[in-house]
Amino acid sequence: MAHDPKHEPREFHVEEDKGLTWFERLYVPAIIRGLAVTARHFFGNLFGDRDTNPDVVYRKGTLGNAVSTVQYPEEKIPYPVGYRGLHRLVPREDGKPRCVACYMCATVCPAQCIYIEAGEYSDDPIEKYPTRFVIDELRCVVCGLCVEACPKDAIRMDTFTHTPPEYSREGFIYPVERLLKGPAVAYPSDPWVKRESSAQPHQHVPFHGLAEHSTEPVPPKPKHPVGTVHPTQPRFQESDFQKPVALPRQK
Amino acid sequence: MRAALMTAVIVGVLALLFVLVGAFYWLAAFLGVVSASLFGPGSEFIGMAVANMVTLVLVLVMVVASLLTVAERKWSSMMQDRIGPNRARLAIIPGLKNRSLGGIPHFLADGIKMLTKEDFIPAQASRFLYSLAPMMAFGPVFILFAIVPIAPEIPASAIPGIAGIAASFGTTATFPVSLTVAPNLDIGLLYAFAMAGLAVYGAALAGWASNNKLALLGGIRAASQMISYEIALGLSLVGCMMAYGSLQLEEMTEAQTGNLFGGLLPAWGIFLQPLGFLLFFAAAFAETKRAPFDAPEGESEVIGYFVEYSGMRFGMFMISEFVEIVVLSGLVTAVFLGGYHLPVPPAWGLEASIASTFGVFGLALFQGLTFLIKTAILIWLQLLIRWSMIRIRYDQIQTLGWKILLPLALANIVVTGVLILVDPSLNALGVLGIIVLALLIGITVLYRAPAKPASIRFAGQPAATPVATGHGH
Repeated sequence: MAHDPKHEPREFHVEEDKGLTWFERLYVPAIIRGLAVTARHFFGNLFGDRDTNPDVVYRKGTLGNAVSTVQYPEEKIPYPVGYRGLHRLVPREDGKPRCVACYMCATVCPAQCIYIEAGEYSDDPIEKYPTRFVIDELRCVVCGLCVEACPKDAIRMDTFTHTPPEYSREGFIYPVERLLKGPAVAYPSDPWVKRESSAQPHQHVPFHGLAEHSTEPVPPKPKHPVGTVHPTQPRFQESDFQKPVALPRQK
Repeated sequence: MRAALMTAVIVGVLALLFVLVGAFYWLAAFLGVVSASLFGPGSEFIGMAVANMVTLVLVLVMVVASLLTVAERKWSSMMQDRIGPNRARLAIIPGLKNRSLGGIPHFLADGIKMLTKEDFIPAQASRFLYSLAPMMAFGPVFILFAIVPIAPEIPASAIPGIAGIAASFGTTATFPVSLTVAPNLDIGLLYAFAMAGLAVYGAALAGWASNNKLALLGGIRAASQMISYEIALGLSLVGCMMAYGSLQLEEMTEAQTGNLFGGLLPAWGIFLQPLGFLLFFAAAFAETKRAPFDAPEGESEVIGYFVEYSGMRFGMFMISEFVEIVVLSGLVTAVFLGGYHLPVPPAWGLEASIASTFGVFGLALFQGLTFLIKTAILIWLQLLIRWSMIRIRYDQIQTLGWKILLPLALANIVVTGVLILVDPSLNALGVLGIIVLALLIGITVLYRAPAKPASIRFAGQPAATPVATGHGH
């Protein structure tokens, strides 16, 4: 066969199969060694205490207990910052939702799981509010686009909980009453903060001391370690979102 | 914390077993007295057999086998660094609502599930054989347990309270009591081989009667596996039969009370016949159809001979497998591990001092407990093997049975025979056994395999010597 200069002869290494060594052919000592390994695990896990700390991934108990299982409902691994949990509607200081019924979230939602009906305050010619704000948590794909779309920071997914189980599909349809959770949030730019009275449009008077309008240097935000929950982050349980016993069915 | 709890649990279980052995003795002697008063003196064996059948087979073996269904899962979880079953709760008992109790309630849940599931019979199955097969698997393993001596034979008068009861029944407490269903069976081990061979009918019939190709494959695998191990099973014990000069399990147990090397070691079968022990254990393991010899029910290849079975019919196959484990452990204990004798050489006089302190009955209780502990350790060893070794390929099982175990068993018989002929005091046999054991342990502990040269060439590494060159593509 003529030598093809394009294809240099390649070396390849073939290892001869030497078969089993005498030790491997004895078979029983190797089995006993394997049994010793298994037995070590057994006794370590039998007599040792399990490490139940969910904050570390590499859990090591006492006396060689190597069980790293997390007993989920009782022990929970903290979710990372930015984890998208169950929705909530953020309240403002008077307890109403911050939502202004702009339909941005309902429009952007790829699963079309948000249903909004807008209403008007009788004493406020400008602001709208949702007379109904319903999320079907079974249809939600937890993409977080509603949170991105919201111009008023009115919907968040920072609850760090899952949708709690229900016995019926109706139970997964969350009205405002079940969504409105957490501490009140206010921003200097909130119109209802800028106006003295919610009845009248406001002349732009800066609030004293608010960072947005202040000339003083802004103090740096206190840092908190990565992986831990921010101190101002409200903590929720699944039970916070469970269906109230006597919730009126919405038609 | 957990170590203390586990130690307390183990001690508690041992105390419970200790009391149970006493209760079993007492019940056997009591029913013996009753039957003697009913059918006349000399018929005590009827009552004792009934009592032993109930206590040993139905209570001890059945409960241990049911608990083994949980223990297997729990122990395997510990061997695999998992938590294991712990979600079944005895919530109806106050105070136990949030207690997993080590997963033990799971066997109750299993039992309820087995009993309430649909009992399905395939339309094309052979109904009679299909129903017969689980019983054929279930029965022989229990019958096999009849000859296993759990505790020694003691006079009934040594058991507290029995002499008075016998007097009130108008009989005398002079008969011997032993915790064996069929005590002093002369054919002993031959009976064991015969009954162990019967167990194959269950698997083979189940495979055939299900009218399912996979079940049939499993049944055929079971049948041929059993055949290839039956001979090694029998031959591996011939050495022990020659050394002890008996087939009777009680006599074999008693023959192991000798001293080796002037009281350094008890004359246990495992020291006299280490090769026989390994061969018998391997062959009996194959008989139980469990990993690594679980080709008949290899879940990932053929689902097994019981693929069509459901409900309690399947449960009978499963329970019989666990009963086989218990019975095999009992047999090995009786033949190779000194039976119910305490694990110290008799020359140390431990048993004699216990007998002089607590009496014959007290010694019998300790000995019964010893037997149960040895059996439990062997059961645990079988589970350890199950989770340490992978399933052996089907032809490898046949190779192991016919080409390795059988010739080794034959060689073992010849060597044992010659050594017994040369030295009837068994010391020569003991020396050989200790040498074999020391070699085995020494190789296991000390041997280090030489490091193999790396066969993969990385960048920057000098090329290995080419043994072939070519124009590669």
